[in-house]
Amino acid sequence: MSHGHGSNPLAHPEVQMANNRSYVTGFIVASLLMAAATVLVSGHLLPPFALLLAITGCAGLAIIAQVYFLLHMDLSEHSIWNTVALIMFIPLFVITIGLTWWMFSQLYLRTMPMIPGMPGMH
Amino acid sequence: MLVNLPGPWNPWLGRLALSEIPYTNPILAPLFVVVVVLGLLMVAGITYYGKWGYLWKEWLTTVDHKKLGIMYIILGLVMLFRGFIDGLMMRTQQAMAVGPHASGMMGAVHGYLTPFHFGQIYSAHGMIMILLAATPLLVGIMNIVIPLQIGARDMAYPYLNALGLWITAAAVVLIMASLFVGDFAHNGWFGYAPIFELAYSPGVGVDYWIWTFQLVALGTTLGSINFIATIVKMRAPGMKWSRLPMFTWASLSANIIALTSFPCLQVAIGLVAADRYLGTHFFTAGFGGNLMLYTNLFWLWGHPEVYFVILPAFGMISEIIPTFSEKPLFGYVTMVLATFAIAGVSWLVWLHHFFTMGMGPYVSTEFSVATMLVGIPTGVKVFNWAFTMYRGRLTYTAAMYWALGALFLLLVGGLTGMMLSIPAINYMVHNSVFVVAHFHMMLLCIVYAIFGSVIYWFPKVFGYTLNEAWGKVMFWLFSAGTALVFIPMFMEGFMGMTRRLDWPFDPHWAPYLNIQVLGILVYVLSILAFVVMLYVSIRDRAQHRAAADAWGTSRSLEWLTASPVPFYNFAVVPQVNARDEVAWRREHGLSAQRASHYDAIHMPNNTGIAIIIGGLTFVLGFALTWRIWWLSLISLLAIIVMMIYRSAKGDPGHVIPAEEVERMDREAERTMPRADLPRHSGGVLGGAIAYDSGAAGEGSANLRGAPDYRP
Repeated sequence: MSHGHGSNPLAHPEVQMANNRSYVTGFIVASLLMAAATVLVSGHLLPPFALLLAITGCAGLAIIAQVYFLLHMDLSEHSIWNTVALIMFIPLFVITIGLTWWMFSQLYLRTMPMIPGMPGMH
Repeated sequence: MLVNLPGPWNPWLGRLALSEIPYTNPILAPLFVVVVVLGLLMVAGITYYGKWGYLWKEWLTTVDHKKLGIMYIILGLVMLFRGFIDGLMMRTQQAMAVGPHASGMMGAVHGYLTPFHFGQIYSAHGMIMILLAATPLLVGIMNIVIPLQIGARDMAYPYLNALGLWITAAAVVLIMASLFVGDFAHNGWFGYAPIFELAYSPGVGVDYWIWTFQLVALGTTLGSINFIATIVKMRAPGMKWSRLPMFTWASLSANIIALTSFPCLQVAIGLVAADRYLGTHFFTAGFGGNLMLYTNLFWLWGHPEVYFVILPAFGMISEIIPTFSEKPLFGYVTMVLATFAIAGVSWLVWLHHFFTMGMGPYVSTEFSVATMLVGIPTGVKVFNWAFTMYRGRLTYTAAMYWALGALFLLLVGGLTGMMLSIPAINYMVHNSVFVVAHFHMMLLCIVYAIFGSVIYWFPKVFGYTLNEAWGKVMFWLFSAGTALVFIPMFMEGFMGMTRRLDWPFDPHWAPYLNIQVLGILVYVLSILAFVVMLYVSIRDRAQHRAAADAWGTSRSLEWLTASPVPFYNFAVVPQVNARDEVAWRREHGLSAQRASHYDAIHMPNNTGIAIIIGGLTFVLGFALTWRIWWLSLISLLAIIVMMIYRSAKGDPGHVIPAEEVERMDREAERTMPRADLPRHSGGVLGGAIAYDSGAAGEGSANLRGAPDYRP
């Protein structure tokens, strides 16, 4: 029905915000981070637990780069809903990933051979 | 082929072969004949009466939220019946097979169902009842009611709405196809690793299960996006957040849960598909896979899903009880807070589905406490409903019966849930039928709320009320069935009977299982009562024509517009002045007021693309199930092409001129009974509180001085 921007989807501010430079920057940054993680893992360049931390860090940076450069999330009027949705997602992320991690670490403590180099696993 | 596929496969038909059609099965073969004959009769009937054009133009291509809602509800009721038949088969099998000396027939050692067939039946029963019966019924009612309650002309995305329905319908067709072509999964509706892996379940059953799940998850996610956008953006002027009707609040929270949790399911099931199709090892015991990760991912969705289905039911109860208590809902703000508290806590409790995993006391304690926390907001809700009824003028209509029945079941289900939230008890009764009886109490609470709201909102959609007497007969039969089936089941749980037994080995269970069969028979009678209720109501529809305010004491905005609702919902978009707008207008003598000025209305056009994409998603699911790669590829490409085509084409919609709107509105006005007269008059209970007519009874003196609940 009516969208407030007429029937032309190209008039939406989200579309208007797009520009090649930020997409290319986002693509390059994300690719570099992924390449770094791949090299670290395939070459076994770090001890296992440090490796886990390093690729988690790469993933976190890649998320930030993608959110900023590709999804254009900020506090401007037309992006605020996306940003609110993202912020609402953070507690869910902490709950689901965090509790799962805690649950499985406790389970492994009782059922699995320990992962070498991981502190707290004894 | 990336995996080592057991059995024959050819490039044209995949794994499909004539031998996959169970024409030797003594249950399925006659059923197939019946289905084909009924289908042919239906096609012949539609052709004879020349209704194909009507069906296509008015229903199959519609984007009208009310018609889509009706189709969702029909779909849900059909699947509720199918799921019930599965339940009937499980009850009769267990009653026949109990004890070491039970005889067997039709290839079974005990009873009449082989273990493999029995496994398919309980898997299908669970999946159908939760995802293909309860979910479509709730989504259908939300579809009909939400836009009316907030004063919108349609959903925010009418085409997306149709797409959601037809993708859900594709899931339904896919699971029904598994009856007659191949098998269904036998690993329970939520699946277990590693039994659903290809090595242990080489047939197509698990594949049917995977793609049915994916389709229904997709359809429901699309629907939830639409509901959230509609509630946020489409409210009528004056419909502030503080005036939003409670059912809409409940639906908003439920759809936020759906939007955030269904992706977890799609990922979990997608990883199972990767294991079975690509040969990955996410959930295998070897090669670094983790069996419990599947259970974790599944219930990460599974528990929020439970609240996705219960919260709208709470919303329905919150609409029915005030209407028939002639009082505003007690504690509106606390009700909204409680709704969102439940929605929030729903994310913290999923581990209680597998307390016995072995992760130790600390984790169990957290999830146990979180589970108990759910009782607080739920208790707030129950007390609010009770205080709404306290000193109200109660009218015991059929809808009210169902709402009160739902409260009672909520109490039983909630208290047993509190017991189960204690890990020590949970270890004792884990996987027993005590758990089964508990969650059936909760799901039946939803079913009660659904039947209540079908009766409650029926006059708004169709323009006449359902037969009250038969509605009550059905209620008592259904309640008797519920008691006879589930009270013995709770007792068997305490006796240590585990769930999903194709052969209940202990003869002491026999009397309880026999009582349950009796209960199932009473359920059958209640279904007959439902059919009679529909028949009698349709026959006598002229005598039971409903006014705009069908119950005379309704409160929220949907009762302002004509009954049946015209396709444009409101001739003039109403200005909302109060939380219970219709009650407010009634009390201020504004019920009879009509618009003096009409504007042209812009409405979306019908489209056949939604049903075509729905059909293609069924073909895609079927082709993937049978591993017919060429067909999968073609249907996937066709879906993408249709989407691009639709996006490029857009929909300019059409405009109904102001004069036409005015004519239709006056016509609807003329054919309806007077709006301000209560349908049920006489007696003290449910008497008129129409201040404007001056005919108020004795008891309404209190209400006249009641505080204005305008926020």
